[in-house]
Amino acid sequence: MASGCAERGGCPSDFVAVSIAVICFFVLLSRSVLPCLIHKAPRTNSSSFWIPVIQVVSSFNLLFSIVMSVNLLQFKSNRWRQYCYLWAVWVEGPLGFGLLMSCRITQAFQLYFVFVKKRLPPVKSYIFLPLVLLPWIFGATIIHVRKPLSPECHMGLQWTFPVAGLHGLYVLALIAFTRAVRHVEFRFDELRDLWKGILVSGASIVIWVTAFVLNEIVTTVSWLQVASRFVLLVTGGVLVVVFFSISSNQPLLSQISLKKREHFEFQRMGLALGIPDSGLLFRKEEFRPVDPNEPLDKLLLNKRFRHSLMEFADSCYAGETLHFYEEVYEHGKIPEGDCIRRIYMARHIMEKFIVAGAEMEVNVSHKTRQEILTTQDLTHPDLFKNALNEVMQLIKMNLVRDYWSSIFFIKFKEDEGCDEAMHKEGWSFSSPRMSSVQGSDDPFCQEHMSKSSTSRCSSPGP
Amino acid sequence: MGLLCSRSRHHTEDTDENTQAAEIERRIEQEAKAEKHIRKLLLLGDLSAVRVNPENLLFLSRQIKLLFQTGFDEGELKSYVPVIHANVYQTIKLLHEGTKEFAQNETDSAKYTISSENMETCARGNELQVPDCTKYLMENLKRLSDLNYIPTKEDVLYARVRTTGVVEIQFSPVGENKKSGEVYRLFDVGGQRNERRKWIHLFEGVTAVIFCAAISEYDQTLFEDEQKNRMMETKELFDWVLKQPCFEKTSFMLFLNKFDIFEKKVLDVRAEAYFYLCRYTRISFYIDENARICFHKTLFILSDVLRFR
Repeated sequence: MASGCAERGGCPSDFVAVSIAVICFFVLLSRSVLPCLIHKAPRTNSSSFWIPVIQVVSSFNLLFSIVMSVNLLQFKSNRWRQYCYLWAVWVEGPLGFGLLMSCRITQAFQLYFVFVKKRLPPVKSYIFLPLVLLPWIFGATIIHVRKPLSPECHMGLQWTFPVAGLHGLYVLALIAFTRAVRHVEFRFDELRDLWKGILVSGASIVIWVTAFVLNEIVTTVSWLQVASRFVLLVTGGVLVVVFFSISSNQPLLSQISLKKREHFEFQRMGLALGIPDSGLLFRKEEFRPVDPNEPLDKLLLNKRFRHSLMEFADSCYAGETLHFYEEVYEHGKIPEGDCIRRIYMARHIMEKFIVAGAEMEVNVSHKTRQEILTTQDLTHPDLFKNALNEVMQLIKMNLVRDYWSSIFFIKFKEDEGCDEAMHKEGWSFSSPRMSSVQGSDDPFCQEHMSKSSTSRCSSPGP
Repeated sequence: MGLLCSRSRHHTEDTDENTQAAEIERRIEQEAKAEKHIRKLLLLGDLSAVRVNPENLLFLSRQIKLLFQTGFDEGELKSYVPVIHANVYQTIKLLHEGTKEFAQNETDSAKYTISSENMETCARGNELQVPDCTKYLMENLKRLSDLNYIPTKEDVLYARVRTTGVVEIQFSPVGENKKSGEVYRLFDVGGQRNERRKWIHLFEGVTAVIFCAAISEYDQTLFEDEQKNRMMETKELFDWVLKQPCFEKTSFMLFLNKFDIFEKKVLDVRAEAYFYLCRYTRISFYIDENARICFHKTLFILSDVLRFR
């Protein structure tokens, strides 16, 4: 009877193994989906979203293919035998293990380029991933064509070792990329977790490959078959969970966007990187009254003024200019030698402000944008200089002129307690910006309405 | 003001409260009535410096200020000096960089010298992002750089400022045709791609949309994307705006402006002008029975020019 269940499947150990695999898969699912649901991370089209998704899918494929191809469960019909090539070759290889490894290799490749070569990766991830997967597809095609599999879905000795070799090769490639970035001091503990994950998954891969080899080669000894099946599936389950958990806690990639992380208390990248807050409240120069005739660069160093101007800009939908100014200012405060923080900040600014279609894209020329995106050195301190100049022009010519006559400036003045500046000359002429504060809260609006309707509208006076 | 005063009162007597309540209600009614008379106008399109042409009566924020509001006084005119100077510096910088670029790529680089009279670079100005007022600025350079320079109204109108965010102008038209109590609120928005996502905030309750397309820009590329032709972009943009569901019952005005620049460009012997125009004049519109699209007369002149060519 033992040999019967060893051949046909359905041994008690098999059921245990399948249930463990199912539990592992649900753990994997919960770890990948729950952070998104709880923290409501927005779905984006970037690789930072798709690569984990592909990983989950490939993990499922791997586990399922093991279950289907290794005689674990007893099937009433024998139809599954015809699909042996589908499960054992295609789903387990290119769509399972191969895809899983390729995802991680892609992520490590991007990390290597950003932090070691200090430039953006030359090849996009959606091109790189299929490229890395090609050897698997190639190998699967060869096996499919040659058809060496026995009716019980086992490969002979001569095929098992190359296949196991291919598995091992990809693991080695991943380890090699990780070694290349090992001396980089990541800010968010990426490397430590990566090594931890690699050690655990490395161990489970070794066990998995051994079990795989034994299962394929030694088909006569029934207890070995059963045992190796069991070990195969269980370690497969453990492997996928551990492998994925490297990314769900501390993403490898430039998911330095804080939304996907557990550091939710940081509202700005600058805070997360530990850049000292700009402008203390108790410095002497803060008490100097704000003089509109001063150059804008000087005025913007005053934190309270900057925030008041930022609020005004936000109210008329031009807020990205001021936010960009502030973040580039923080970028400039990072010391020269600290390449890693510079890279984090630069990538954050680029993704938030420069990339076409970014959430707070700023109004800069094509040339400036291309210069930034194709830079050869992400750590250059003057990376954003041209863009900042263009944005400052916009602020000077567009926003500041309207700001002086807006209620935000009045509020700012009231807070500062300086009433004399209200009657400054040359302050009342520019047209009012659309403000989110409208209607009865706006003192100027009331004055408009009370004038006779046939008179010409004039701009609000002081 | 009445509301502010009433808030600071500490004693509350019955009669006072009643009068206050009545006052508040009256104001609310007044505002509601006033709101009905306010027409919301949106000024959209890939705008750069739009100039006034008295015969065509094209509007823009500064035009409107000039015509309907208090106009510019000396203080205001003076405040435009930094803007004009910034334009001059930017133009010179762009011409300088353009000259270097052209000189690098061509064998006969001697013709690209950097001086205000040199016309070779200006002739290829459509490949650079120089503003349309380049010639005007270069011609008036001496006057603009004077220490006591006060800009004329024309200078102010030529000054090129990219709008960012939203600017609101309120005005009441004067003249025989105006209805009493009519107030127009004009919203001017930036035209670049990153500014367009802000437009959606303004799309409710619009009486009319004024869409400006510069027909002289058929051979220029976008400021924010030097791979896209400006006219193609404007055409696609106009298509998109027309198809918005909130504009089903809105009137549209399509202004094809910069016609004078266009005239000069087309009469300059360049076969490409004809080629560009043939490609871009076939604009298909989506028209609803209740909405109207008003074409400015320059559109018809356009087809005459084509026939002439």
